[in-house]
Amino acid sequence: MQTAERRADNKNLKPEPWRDPNAEGYVRIENITKKFGDFTAVNNVSLKIYKGEIFCLLGGSGCGKSTLLRMMAGFESPTSGSIFLDGQDMAGVPPYERPVNMMFQSYALFPHMTVEKNVAFGLEQEKGLAKSEIASRVADMLEVVKLTQFAVRKPHQLSGGQRQRVALARSLVKRPKLLLLDEPLGALDKKLREATQFELISIQEQLGVTFIVVTHDQEEAMTLATRIGVMNRGEIVQIGTPTEIYEFPQNKFVADFIGSVNMFEGSMIEDLPDRVRIKSDELGATIYVDHGISAAPGAVVYAAIRPEKINILRAPPADVSENCVKGVVQEIAYMGDVSIYLVKIDSGKIVRVTLPNVERLSDDERILWDETVWLSWHASSPVVVTQ
Amino acid sequence: MKPAGAMANSRVAEGRLGPLWTLLFRYGPPRWTEYVLKNWSGQRLVIAVPYLWLLIFFLIPFLIVLKISFAEFSPLGRPPYEPVFQWLEQGALQIKLLIGSYVYLFNEPLYVSSWLYSIQVAAFSTLLCLLLGYPMAYAIARSPPTIRNVFLMLVILPFWTSFLLRVYAWIGLLKNDGVINNVLMALGIINEPLTMMNTSFAVYIGIVYSYLPFMILPLYSNLEKHDLTLLEAASDLGASPVRAFTRITLPLSFPGIVAGSLLVFIPAVGEYVIPSLLGRTDQLMIAKLLSDEFFLNRDWPKASAVAIVMLLLLVVPIMLFQHFQNKELQAAKR
Amino acid sequence: MKSGLYSKVMLGFGFAFLYIPILSMIIFSFNDSRSVTVWNWVGSPTLKWYGELLRDQQILDAAWLSIRVAAMAATGAVALGTIAGLVLARFGPFKGRALLQGLTTAPLVMPEVITGLSMLLLFVSLEQLLQYLFGVQFDRGVATITIAHITFTMAYVTVVVQSRLEGFDDSLEEAALDLGARPAKVFFRITVPLILPAILSGWLLAFTLSWDDVVVTQFVSGPGSNTLPMVIFSRVRLGVKPVVNALATVMVLIVACGVILSAFLMRRQEQRRKREEQMAASG
Repeated sequence: MQTAERRADNKNLKPEPWRDPNAEGYVRIENITKKFGDFTAVNNVSLKIYKGEIFCLLGGSGCGKSTLLRMMAGFESPTSGSIFLDGQDMAGVPPYERPVNMMFQSYALFPHMTVEKNVAFGLEQEKGLAKSEIASRVADMLEVVKLTQFAVRKPHQLSGGQRQRVALARSLVKRPKLLLLDEPLGALDKKLREATQFELISIQEQLGVTFIVVTHDQEEAMTLATRIGVMNRGEIVQIGTPTEIYEFPQNKFVADFIGSVNMFEGSMIEDLPDRVRIKSDELGATIYVDHGISAAPGAVVYAAIRPEKINILRAPPADVSENCVKGVVQEIAYMGDVSIYLVKIDSGKIVRVTLPNVERLSDDERILWDETVWLSWHASSPVVVTQ
Repeated sequence: MKPAGAMANSRVAEGRLGPLWTLLFRYGPPRWTEYVLKNWSGQRLVIAVPYLWLLIFFLIPFLIVLKISFAEFSPLGRPPYEPVFQWLEQGALQIKLLIGSYVYLFNEPLYVSSWLYSIQVAAFSTLLCLLLGYPMAYAIARSPPTIRNVFLMLVILPFWTSFLLRVYAWIGLLKNDGVINNVLMALGIINEPLTMMNTSFAVYIGIVYSYLPFMILPLYSNLEKHDLTLLEAASDLGASPVRAFTRITLPLSFPGIVAGSLLVFIPAVGEYVIPSLLGRTDQLMIAKLLSDEFFLNRDWPKASAVAIVMLLLLVVPIMLFQHFQNKELQAAKR
Repeated sequence: MKSGLYSKVMLGFGFAFLYIPILSMIIFSFNDSRSVTVWNWVGSPTLKWYGELLRDQQILDAAWLSIRVAAMAATGAVALGTIAGLVLARFGPFKGRALLQGLTTAPLVMPEVITGLSMLLLFVSLEQLLQYLFGVQFDRGVATITIAHITFTMAYVTVVVQSRLEGFDDSLEEAALDLGARPAKVFFRITVPLILPAILSGWLLAFTLSWDDVVVTQFVSGPGSNTLPMVIFSRVRLGVKPVVNALATVMVLIVACGVILSAFLMRRQEQRRKREEQMAASG
């Protein structure tokens, strides 16, 4: 999983520019709204993206992420709001005049042109570029994507992964200020996807281009992104680094969307600056959280606990008063690297717990179906959200 | 080219042709030139080209026909009708509209029977064409892909040869001393030649023969898109092949049937060549009447009235056709 | 599911129905007899009708005129029809779109007498107008025939181009725009190469329709401009003529060669493409 710490030694990215309130966004999206008739696809979205970032827009289908991307490319114009790129207002600027390039989901390679000609196409549209310079830039870029020996082939003579690299080369060769990628890895199979993810990152670091990636695949977002913007129903619901999004979701939607989560509804019985107690009937126990949260008194809150943060014990722990609940193992799914346990607790709710692979342990060492177990977690594990 | 908003304050007109326009029309009224440039973007010019052509050469002619249908026939005039719109000395405009031509068309027995005959012939021919074309389209759609293309080519090939010559070919076959009669008599099936030329029967054959590709192609393109697993599901649920056909394939092919039938029926009503070469001499189809009124009698107003009535008769089928044509086009979108 | 016996039989019958008249025309073009329906075993087969065809100046002149008109009309129809097809398939909704769609597809079904009459009346009105404005007299002839042919054949080109364009999405054109090409450039360098087969078949279709047209041409032609269909039509109204059979055979041969050749070329291209795709998938 990607963390901000790794990104810190990306030479293109000043450490966490988004923490600086005075930093000017390289891409500034201000109050963008897009309506198609009565339907609002993008609702008052504002966003700052910094130079050298890989920013991911993550969301399910219909959340507006592709529309937002197309507005940045210039294929749709916003109903209201502005987009600024490197200080320049993009209103009324057609796609062929923007310093932005897009990599299409279907790659959109020109079938009647060779790989070379495809990659050269964008350069040929620029004024004042000599043929020799175009040829050398094309050759350099083909080397970067490792397709030099396929230069004279046509798209239908290439495999899926090769076509993707041609599409990438074609958009990057123009040295755009911003590269938009629409579900770049969607069409590739799993193994290829993983390899390509890391290749993309290394190419981005090498060239220093700012990437904006649109995807519905959380794994992809978590691997590629320096920051993720989660979208739902035309709005941005949270922006943060992958770590922040995963460990500290700000609302139920984000908590549920990324990875899996156990959500317990409850009300606060103790609300202090440094700790909180929540009584939850759904859980049938009290949750003790070791950090403060802000919520209105008496408000309904939700405690989100990730499956990997719950321990399964075969005997009750020393303190069963809080952060602990009894249950019966209903189902075990063996996934290879982890096993998923579905444990039914007294209130009827099913709690999901993941444990690392225990195949090699003997039968009396590991947990089996229909066993009565105790679930417990550390006080720092729950994340409390109010909506 | 700078974005449109950037030049608002300068004296040069906006848009791609701005500098040229300014040079040529520096003293032109600024507002309408700016308006034309701003609104007549490249896209609109592109739309305008075919649009203008069709307006001038397709739509306006119909209006002219309409106008002349109300004119008074003047046998010795060149052109042979009184002007409908006439400017008088005091600047007044005189409009003379006669509906005499229309009245004549609906009363004269020659015309009434011709209308009915034309529609009857067209309808029956369309039916025959459908009865022959549907099984052919079905067989082609269900044949293996390699042979399918050969079959389609065989269907289309006659279409590329001259329509006129193919109709002419039937004269040689249908005559009293023609091939068919000679063969039948030689085989002893008949003793006297069958009269096939200059009959309605010959017209049916002619229309079916000429328009068969127009029936087969829309049907084929519809049938080819059918999901065959639907039929498998029907069979699995106990339907016999005939049942599956009538309850599933036939209804699904309905748009194709309509498109093909209209593609045959509408032009068949106004067919001229086939009835002229093969048809009856005692009962004419409406296109021949129009032509005779125009070329023989030189009665332009009446000919125009015939055309207008034909158009009105066909306007509903034409709109139906366009509706189904659009649906098929939308279905082709990925 | 395979088709039943009934449809297979009808298929065979249908093809026989389609081809027997053509075959009979061809066979009797070699018949040494004025009668086109009784085979004269003495002296047949003969090429004398072909000889007569080559000496028939009226037919040859008319044929040459028809070719010229058809070529010009097809080119004009392709130019206008491709634009119309592009506009209807790729431009979004605009004011007057429904009318344009209607105007482009109406000629497909419009009876020819109506089209012919209306265009003739238009030309007459234009003649009157030009005479009134400029005192110029012009007669109908090749120009009017060509304009009329363009008008009704362009519908077919529009339908062919439009349905081809509807068949693939505009992501290729968007990609080209994104890479910096202006809309006009995108059209000529990306769209046109992709729909070139459709444009070509549209050209051939328009050529055939124009070459073959009788009714509209009769209305809008002028003195001295006789196209081949007009000549044939006036001749065959009086009965069967063997020279016409010879002409028909020549035309069928040309068309058959053209169709077979193009089918052969297309298959070769398909096979090559399949081989290349397999190469890519494995290598």
